[in-house]
Amino acid sequence: MAEIALPTATPSRPKVRIGSHLFAIAWRNLWRNRRRTWLTAGGIAFAVWMLIFARSMQDGTFIIMIDNAARMMTGHIQVQHPDYQDDPRVEHTLEQATQIAEQVAAHPAVEQASLRAQAFALVSFGERSFGAQVMGVEPEKEIGWSTLANMQVEGRYLEKSGDAFLGSVLARNLGLGLGDEIVLLGSAKEGGVAAVVATVVGTFTSGQAAIDRALVQITLNDFREGWELSPNEAHAVIAVTNAVTGSNEVARAFDGPNRVSLGWTDLMPEVEQMVEMKRIGTEMFFVLIAVIVTFSVVNTFMMTVFERTPEFGMLMAIGMRPGSIMLQLFVEAFWLCTLGLVLGVGISAVMVAITGATGIPLPAEATEMLANYNLPDRMYPAFSLDAAIVASIAMYIGTQLAALIPALRVQRMRPVEALRAQE
Amino acid sequence: MTEVVVRCSGVTRTYQDEAVPVYALRGVDFEVRRGEFVSLAGPSGSGKSTLLNVIGGLDRPNEGLIEVDGINLNDLSQSELSDMRLNKMGFVFQAYNLIPVLSALENVEFIMQLQGVGAAERSERARAALASLGISELEHRRPGELSGGQQQRAAIARAIVTNPVLLLADEPSANLDSHATEELLELLQRLNEERGVTIVTATHDPMVMSYAKRRINLRDGTIVEDAISAAALPAVR
Amino acid sequence: MPLKLLVQLSARNLSRHKRRNFMLLMAICVAVGGVTFMNSLIRGFQYDMQESAVANLTGHVKILAPGYLDDPSIAKSFKLAADWQPDIAAEELEGWAARIRIPAVIMSERETRGIQFVGVDPAQESISFLGDADYDGQSLRDASDNRVVIGRALAEQLETKVGRRLVIITQGADGLNREAGFRIAGVYDVEGTGLEKIFVFTGIKMLQQMVDAEVFTEVSIKLAGTPREFSVKVALAEFFTGLVVLDWQELEPQAAAMFLFADAAIFIWFLIMMGALIFGLVNTLITAVMERVRELGMLRAVGMRPGAVIVQVVLESTFMMALGVTIGIGMGVGLIFWAGDGIDLSEWAQGMEMAGMRSVLVPRLMIADLILVAGLSMVFGVLASLYPAWRAVKINPLEALRR
Repeated sequence: MAEIALPTATPSRPKVRIGSHLFAIAWRNLWRNRRRTWLTAGGIAFAVWMLIFARSMQDGTFIIMIDNAARMMTGHIQVQHPDYQDDPRVEHTLEQATQIAEQVAAHPAVEQASLRAQAFALVSFGERSFGAQVMGVEPEKEIGWSTLANMQVEGRYLEKSGDAFLGSVLARNLGLGLGDEIVLLGSAKEGGVAAVVATVVGTFTSGQAAIDRALVQITLNDFREGWELSPNEAHAVIAVTNAVTGSNEVARAFDGPNRVSLGWTDLMPEVEQMVEMKRIGTEMFFVLIAVIVTFSVVNTFMMTVFERTPEFGMLMAIGMRPGSIMLQLFVEAFWLCTLGLVLGVGISAVMVAITGATGIPLPAEATEMLANYNLPDRMYPAFSLDAAIVASIAMYIGTQLAALIPALRVQRMRPVEALRAQE
Repeated sequence: MTEVVVRCSGVTRTYQDEAVPVYALRGVDFEVRRGEFVSLAGPSGSGKSTLLNVIGGLDRPNEGLIEVDGINLNDLSQSELSDMRLNKMGFVFQAYNLIPVLSALENVEFIMQLQGVGAAERSERARAALASLGISELEHRRPGELSGGQQQRAAIARAIVTNPVLLLADEPSANLDSHATEELLELLQRLNEERGVTIVTATHDPMVMSYAKRRINLRDGTIVEDAISAAALPAVR
Repeated sequence: MPLKLLVQLSARNLSRHKRRNFMLLMAICVAVGGVTFMNSLIRGFQYDMQESAVANLTGHVKILAPGYLDDPSIAKSFKLAADWQPDIAAEELEGWAARIRIPAVIMSERETRGIQFVGVDPAQESISFLGDADYDGQSLRDASDNRVVIGRALAEQLETKVGRRLVIITQGADGLNREAGFRIAGVYDVEGTGLEKIFVFTGIKMLQQMVDAEVFTEVSIKLAGTPREFSVKVALAEFFTGLVVLDWQELEPQAAAMFLFADAAIFIWFLIMMGALIFGLVNTLITAVMERVRELGMLRAVGMRPGAVIVQVVLESTFMMALGVTIGIGMGVGLIFWAGDGIDLSEWAQGMEMAGMRSVLVPRLMIADLILVAGLSMVFGVLASLYPAWRAVKINPLEALRR
């Protein structure tokens, strides 16, 4: 850039109406009443800390909850026949399942991809019969990621053709033990009767009654044989990815002709809705807290304006425009808010850093329920940047609005009366 | 530049107190010429402060004409009045003269910041002003760390640093002891005599009146006496 | 100094800064009103969940054969005298139902599913969700009705409809499987699909005939008013020696845990709200003290005792709080009535169902909560005034007057 010689400023030319010192003056004004500033900033910090910490707690918990739910059975992503999700019939299969699984497994975000087939069947042992979901799985892959495969209370997981792995409640209802032979009866894909005989090698307890009471796993090949699927057919390609966050985006990569790829939000809509509902509840509370804090900031500014009325009168008398004085109040509000935010975000960050590693233990009475919601018995907060941003914006808007009401009084002030105003 | 700095004619100011109008000023006529040191005197309620405020554009008359430096104040908007005060007048009040969070130097610089004076020039002129009032060594103290007399000096430094055509002082001695008052008045006198600053004060302090060259006595909103005072004599010498 | 005078002084001081105190009052109102309304939503959620849990064929108290929970089969059943009535005062009893509930397999022409097969006396089922379900077709006529009613979701899975036939297989009293055909009398529709997929109902007499035994697997009792499960449980346990008597908390531990969580949530949110409020309250009180330094100094100089100064500041805070709490609770209760029909949450229907709730959240006003909020708010009001009061006492009369 070429240097341009500028003439030195002349005294009466109003180049800048507001000196660059405005921010410095506002900052110093804040410390004229330290106690008040700390109390007001403390209120802001408290509100911000509440929201960030509550959200961090929820986010950390939700991620684990979703991940646990996904890793139990559904996986993060499933590729299925386009109609299977709404109408899970045995004939809605993927034709080229093995190739799709290879394609899915090749994606860098995917940890593992496995095939599954499933149908309803009558499970019989001796004279007793119960209805249950039968799932044909690839045991060597399933054991790698599915927590269900590792929840055996008795025996072991599937290893070879002829093995059956079932829920402990179902086993009890059927009155059977390890080594007993069960018969699975259902309707095969081509319309015939599907019949599979398998030996119980293990039972599991997931904590979820619906699964423990009505799920049997056998090997995929046994299932294909019994339900008349071809060696390349399955109902779903199930993938687990390295992270829940973003797995919905990964899922989109696997859409194709005659198949759909579903992310966890499609597979477990109830979990997503519950997460959403809790977030909304937290945010409603935050709005309330923000309103309360805003009122107390209004109060602070009213007291400030009241006490400094003579000073404002003097400033107007020496030629400062009311607009500039108002601007100064807004800058003071900005600093006050910044101070509160630094405090609030700082405290949250430190607390999340400390508790994020060790976790917060939960009361024992809660653990049973938590297991049902796929929750661990400790909460691991994860710092919620979203919440920090939302809280900051909300508090900046709130404090500026709060400064507005008293600032409007400045505009109505008349210098003569302001100068005379006494405490 | 006219020789008449302030011209008042028929200035009337009433305040509505419940139903009855209270006359603070009733048709005041007078002029102040460049280089005068005028003291507006009178008991409280006589209208001297109101007259000072009207001249300073802080208050508007109900009737009558006010001209400062040839400009009719009645024609100006509030923000034009602000600019007028900023650029053509200097103010010294009895209290609340200085911004408490700024040092003496920063207070003096502040008014030039409002005017948009560049940083280097600002600090040079502010230091010069403080030096001329003999408080250079206190420039980094905040008002709370200055005595009443020192505060008033800083206030005068701020008032004159812009080279105003008119310096207005409302009870400048109210919060000072007699020694500090004397020092302050000698300062004002020097400014008036050596630099030709036009000064108008409103006061009921006889000491202040004795330093002024011209004394205007008000009673019930009208001028009852307008006289050259004894203080003018040595200046004539 | 007499208290009356102090009260008067405090009240006058509050009205000195109307605008500022109005803002503080608004903050208290928002906090108290907000908490009142949110509490009613949490309570609504809590009791909705409890009611669903109870209506879910559970009842407040249930009588079962030992071992039924582990092995819910007809083998774990009991007999009941034909004229049996629970020995519970009429005003405490809303109703009771004796049922058979056993696992079964249901088959349509196209599909097979596992279900819970329940034999009921329709006249008794006003206590369960079956009582207020909507039907396509008809509901069951009486205890000897030999048709079935199934849920809408199950009908869709089985691809069947009213008037069609279904085959149901279940285990008889002798341990052997029985198979019988049933005509569908009606398809019931309840909120959420969870129940619809599980429960299939027929007349209790029909089911007793099918399993070959005049027995029941459960008696479910719904209590009226504020349920006192415990005393009822004890009384029933004395009567039914050899059977198990459980309350809904034991039968639905998830719902019971959520119920306790909601109690805790109410308390926690209230504390947070008060935490946010207290900053503003202390701030205003401190300022009120500091700007009256001269006046308080004068009062001390003329002989006001330090204790009286404290009382005055505490009274000011208490007045403020009392006024805010009154208006705030009024606002909160107003909001509750305004939202009285409930808030539609159907967008999150599945998530709600997972949490055991209906899709319309109806706020529920509890007087005990109002008292708790009001009482604790007053405590906070006093707490907030302690520091300002201490500050006021520290004012030295001489120094204050010299200022």
